[in-house]
Amino acid sequence: MSDEPARILMAKTSLDGHWRGVTIVERALREAHFEVIALGMATAEEIVRAAVDEEVDLVGLNLGGRSAVVERIVAELRAQGSDVPVMVGGVITPQTKKRLESSGIAVFPPGSSLEDIVATARRLCEHSAEMKQEAQ
Amino acid sequence: MSGIEEGTSLDGEPGNAGRREGASRTTAPAYTTSSGIPLSAHYGPGDVPDDHWLKVTAPPGQAPFTRGAYPEMYRSKPWRIFQLSGFGNPEDERERIRFLLEHGETGFLMEHDRMTADHLYDVDHPEVVARRDDVGLTGAVILSVDDYETVLDGIDIASTYAHAGGAVVQHAPFANACYWTVARRRGIDLRRLAGTGQSDFNLTYLGCINKVQVPPRDGLRFNLDLIEHCTRYLPKWVPVSIAAYNAADTGLNAFEELGALMANAAEYLDGIRQRSKLEVADVAHGVGGVNLRTSMDFFEDIAKLRAARSMWERLLRERYGVTDERARRLRIHVVTAGSAMTYSQPLNNIARGTLMGLAAVLGGAQSLGVSGYDEAITIPSEHAHQMSVRIQQILAHEANLTAVADPLGGSWLVESLTAQLEERAWEFFELIQREGGYVATLDSGWLHQRASAGASLAMDQVENGDRILVGVNAYQDDVSPFEVEGFEGTTDAWDRAMTRLAALRRERDSRAAASALRTLEGACRSEVNIMGPMLDAVEARVTVGEIGDVFRTVFGNWDVPIVF
Repeated sequence: MSDEPARILMAKTSLDGHWRGVTIVERALREAHFEVIALGMATAEEIVRAAVDEEVDLVGLNLGGRSAVVERIVAELRAQGSDVPVMVGGVITPQTKKRLESSGIAVFPPGSSLEDIVATARRLCEHSAEMKQEAQ
Repeated sequence: MSGIEEGTSLDGEPGNAGRREGASRTTAPAYTTSSGIPLSAHYGPGDVPDDHWLKVTAPPGQAPFTRGAYPEMYRSKPWRIFQLSGFGNPEDERERIRFLLEHGETGFLMEHDRMTADHLYDVDHPEVVARRDDVGLTGAVILSVDDYETVLDGIDIASTYAHAGGAVVQHAPFANACYWTVARRRGIDLRRLAGTGQSDFNLTYLGCINKVQVPPRDGLRFNLDLIEHCTRYLPKWVPVSIAAYNAADTGLNAFEELGALMANAAEYLDGIRQRSKLEVADVAHGVGGVNLRTSMDFFEDIAKLRAARSMWERLLRERYGVTDERARRLRIHVVTAGSAMTYSQPLNNIARGTLMGLAAVLGGAQSLGVSGYDEAITIPSEHAHQMSVRIQQILAHEANLTAVADPLGGSWLVESLTAQLEERAWEFFELIQREGGYVATLDSGWLHQRASAGASLAMDQVENGDRILVGVNAYQDDVSPFEVEGFEGTTDAWDRAMTRLAALRRERDSRAAASALRTLEGACRSEVNIMGPMLDAVEARVTVGEIGDVFRTVFGNWDVPIVF
């Protein structure tokens, strides 16, 4: 990896403005020396655009609603040629968690440890950087 | 876009200071309450200040009400079993309310869709269309008074106490007006209609911040309008109910929750005094129905409810000179902490709900909502909702808890904690006043910083093992995992609301609706109380989004002080 800190886009997919959980995660990521772009409540289209424009290494989604939006975002990112990995946190049913994990998305339900989230973010960003290098 | 450049990041000093303090506890466990009050190994008479002993010689039902709001407490007034409910279509919300009432709920709380209700958007607004999957997940979609008619169909609202929805400030005038309109159409005398609005600042401007909403100063005007209107026309209705719960679940500790509650109330009552149309004494009863949280610090939570009543009595007596003792009596609805419910081993949450509910009862709550055991996973299933009611029924009927008021009165520990919480809470109240008052601390982000620091500290304590959460950071093995299905309500709420919206626009008298909206806009731009024009607009079948358009035009959007 280069000396530049890895960049993570964080966004809330629904119009639910509870910020306690997402800001705790953002803080932990910043303390672990990631550059965090906090997009707040955004539509799938806005999230995809920001992820592509900002060339981020990871997209973190805070779900406050249903989960189909996650697959929509991933599909649109891939359609635009972005391989950026996605992780998801929030109130998620066990079935949804399994479904998302089976398509390679890291899922963090309530009670997840910050250590795990940061470690996963690091692994995904490193993978992301390798992919970028290969592409060059 | 929620300003990447604007506002203050929450990564400020308070949180980092909290982190270091939390981390230092790993080596030497300190015995404290969750708000940091040191705990001795045992308590005796010397731990209770003399002036506090004097206060609690007054029996329950007498000022300062530390020991309870009513003399006989649950003998004469059982607490109300009062669970938040609502999802999907208006019919879905109605069926769940009926289900809960059939299973023993003794009042009902309506929860409405976060996007359409809280944001005042119609279902065809682009922000909603872009998220149409989410519509109806966390509350029913209510477009107009017609949908209130559907929800309330077959429910006896003349004799059942209700929360009319409108937890969010900008939604409250519309929600209350819809409910009252249904009641009036049924021939119910509004002077006798009992129930509650909410219009809570702690939810709206602190814990759960909408993407678009009227600024706090204008929200304050809405609440004063509601207070005035109800005092004149609906004396049995609680016009606004401060939900300190939301401040606590955002991260404020026990005494901060109390201090913020009093500062919030002072903002309302100062506003009433400045308008000088009504006396504070006239509105005190209406404003004195509030909402507090119990969580997983049993004795501190009990002490907190006792301190809240005592502080309220003092606030009204000393700051506002209210002489009628009954008008200084605080009534408390308790909601058990949603944040205390865990994702893993969800059946453990039944034990947590029981403990938090027990704290509410021992603290003398007037009504109670116990969070569902599936709270961390989904919206409550029928079964989880039923369990919340059953927990309350077991507390009410099986454990012989209701015969004696304030059973922990005189406990050296509980009295000591009550006195200490009160003292620290007044200090926090003064701190807020020095910052310019409660609304100023929302506009500046000061209160958000405090809550954020508290939330980080709590997280760090779990992260580094100072605080054990069973099934989360300890005892994770589960011999027979109980998997919650994950109730997700209905999936047709957006489609069906689109159909209803089209029909409504076609069928109603569009000129009457437009004229009512113009009158409402005129009221918003003047000093006229908005509730009269709001009731007329509701009667003219305006939609929630049309109300939102008026508010957005007149008041603009709040400049949110934090980034998230």
